[in-house]
Amino acid sequence: MKAPVFDYHRARSVQDALAALADGNGDAKPMAGGCSLGPMLNLRLARPTRVVDLRHAPELRRVEETSDRLIIGALWTHAEIEDGAMPCATNGFLPSVAHGIAYRAVRNRGTIGGSVAHADPAADWISTLLTLDARLLIHAPDGERQASIDTFMLGGYSTELGDDELLTGIVLPKLSSRGRWAYHKICRKTGEFAKAIGAVLHDPERGLTRVVCGAIERTPILLEETSAALGRAGPQAAAAVLRDEIDRRLSDHDAVFRQMHHTAVDRALAELGSK
Amino acid sequence: MNRVPVTITVNGQPFTASVEPRQHLADFLRETVGLTGTHLGCEQGVCGACTVEIDGRPQRSCIAFAVACDGSTVRTVEGFDDDPTMSELREAFSTHHGLQCGFCTPGMLITSRDIVRRCGETDERTIREELSGNLCRCTGYMGIVAAVGSVCRGKTPEVEAPPVATPVPAAATAPIRLPEPAMAAGAPVRPSMAPAPAPSVAATPLASAAGDSAGWTAIDQTITVAAAPATVWDALGDVRGVAACLPGAEVEKLEGESLTGRMSVRFGPIKARFAGEGTVRRDESAHTGRVTGAGRDSGSGSQAAGEVVYRVVEGERPDSATVVVTIRYRLTGTLAQFSRGALVQDFVRRMAETFASNLSASLAPRADGAPPQAAKPVEMNVLAMLVSVLAGRIKRLFTSA
Repeated sequence: MKAPVFDYHRARSVQDALAALADGNGDAKPMAGGCSLGPMLNLRLARPTRVVDLRHAPELRRVEETSDRLIIGALWTHAEIEDGAMPCATNGFLPSVAHGIAYRAVRNRGTIGGSVAHADPAADWISTLLTLDARLLIHAPDGERQASIDTFMLGGYSTELGDDELLTGIVLPKLSSRGRWAYHKICRKTGEFAKAIGAVLHDPERGLTRVVCGAIERTPILLEETSAALGRAGPQAAAAVLRDEIDRRLSDHDAVFRQMHHTAVDRALAELGSK
Repeated sequence: MNRVPVTITVNGQPFTASVEPRQHLADFLRETVGLTGTHLGCEQGVCGACTVEIDGRPQRSCIAFAVACDGSTVRTVEGFDDDPTMSELREAFSTHHGLQCGFCTPGMLITSRDIVRRCGETDERTIREELSGNLCRCTGYMGIVAAVGSVCRGKTPEVEAPPVATPVPAAATAPIRLPEPAMAAGAPVRPSMAPAPAPSVAATPLASAAGDSAGWTAIDQTITVAAAPATVWDALGDVRGVAACLPGAEVEKLEGESLTGRMSVRFGPIKARFAGEGTVRRDESAHTGRVTGAGRDSGSGSQAAGEVVYRVVEGERPDSATVVVTIRYRLTGTLAQFSRGALVQDFVRRMAETFASNLSASLAPRADGAPPQAAKPVEMNVLAMLVSVLAGRIKRLFTSA
């Protein structure tokens, strides 16, 4: 199908984009690569009256750092992250996840910020950033703020972003040289949205021990008990309490769903153990 | 009709045209420029038939809008006549029988050239993985993979790694205050991001056969209210008040058992506003009620039907009541073609939780001891509602209402 009629505004700056969104009376939609919004427009599921193109706002491609954080603009594409177009703060975690997103032709246009703002529960960045305990930079008409990834996503396609706000950047922790990670997703076909995601991060020097279960048709979850066991006694101990925690946290899903998610996280833990 | 002038360089030649913003690049190439080598299959970024090079990188021309490509350089399958790698690939596709009907071939060739240049000599598994974004409906993958493999053989990657951006100190360019991270040693684990539901609300999707039959989905809610069952039953008779607890719902007219109204929902980029009719039936003796409704969203032409059945029973504690609610819904039309039904179900589940906690709050006895009454109708925004309930930001709701 073809997209419905909309007006197009090419934003030249974040301020310009915010003004165009505010002017849209709740019916304007920001677009970065358009790899999520494009299909929804073509299917006429989304019918915004105005599309605000963010690809020409230079602030959205910033790369900044503090002593323990790397801040990247929202507009970096998956392929650029895959190819290492910015310093890697995560010991290869981000490039590896980026490589597994959809297909190269999609990665060449789709952006990390667009994916996070779209908040598809089965997409990779939401689960990855939750594992990294990343923060998000949000620009609102009254200024900039940071959001915790823990509370940013409210559910499928729902985030704390208001109609007149923009996700402008990602604040990543710089992992220590001892920081290890593992990521396992289950897809029936390469490049499709994941059926289950297991992600594990262990960086004792940064105090980061996080095990995440994603692609659960709602906001990905941090598995607290499994994380605690991993921090205390390692991947095998974590795997021993995993089944119980998955069964409890995903109790409203059927046995096949729980088994698949257990497998994804279990494999990620095993991979971490072998690193 | 709004049109925007664009200039796009296609295969080395600039084309200037006035386009509708909704026109995607593939249609621009095929209809405005007249290059029909770029094919359209799914028009949703999945099949890969429309893959072209935009600014030197393969991309989907069906989900890139022409207006967004103003100033870009595009290369289509017609633009590789003098390209040595492409000529090797053309030869190899022929030798290895890498095409049958030929529909996927333009996209396959663009992707294959990128594989050869980026990967150089590589194994079959990598080639298959890299080709997985291009579908061949003849299923002629054996020949295509063999063709790409034969061209990759003996080659080294030609594409250089991108320059690595140099980070600037954050403080110098932006006043970013980094709050003290909650990752201090000794506190490795933070509370879950999923807020616990209100204690009085329990939502479980019905796994029963009835729940999924004929496109219907059902969700159960149990609401416990600190008021006598008879009082709660009476309060539930206020249809407008009850509707006010459901974000996005408005009752316009209520006559006897019939009502007309609207229901606005917003699900990420998807927005719909259903207008329709319904009925309200209450069985005084059994303390059961049934509200049904059906409506149409004129924007998408989609139809929704829904039903809420509730029963008021004695609560576990004295002077408390339990309202057992089952919500069933069915969506047909464009919106129902959205293939991620589980996400819609989660959305309705969250909405049902919001409804339950609003209803619970509106039915609870007020601080001044006055009897419970349904909430006064307030225009509510689904998103603001969800934000307030799920993130505990009740304040925001009332400042924006």
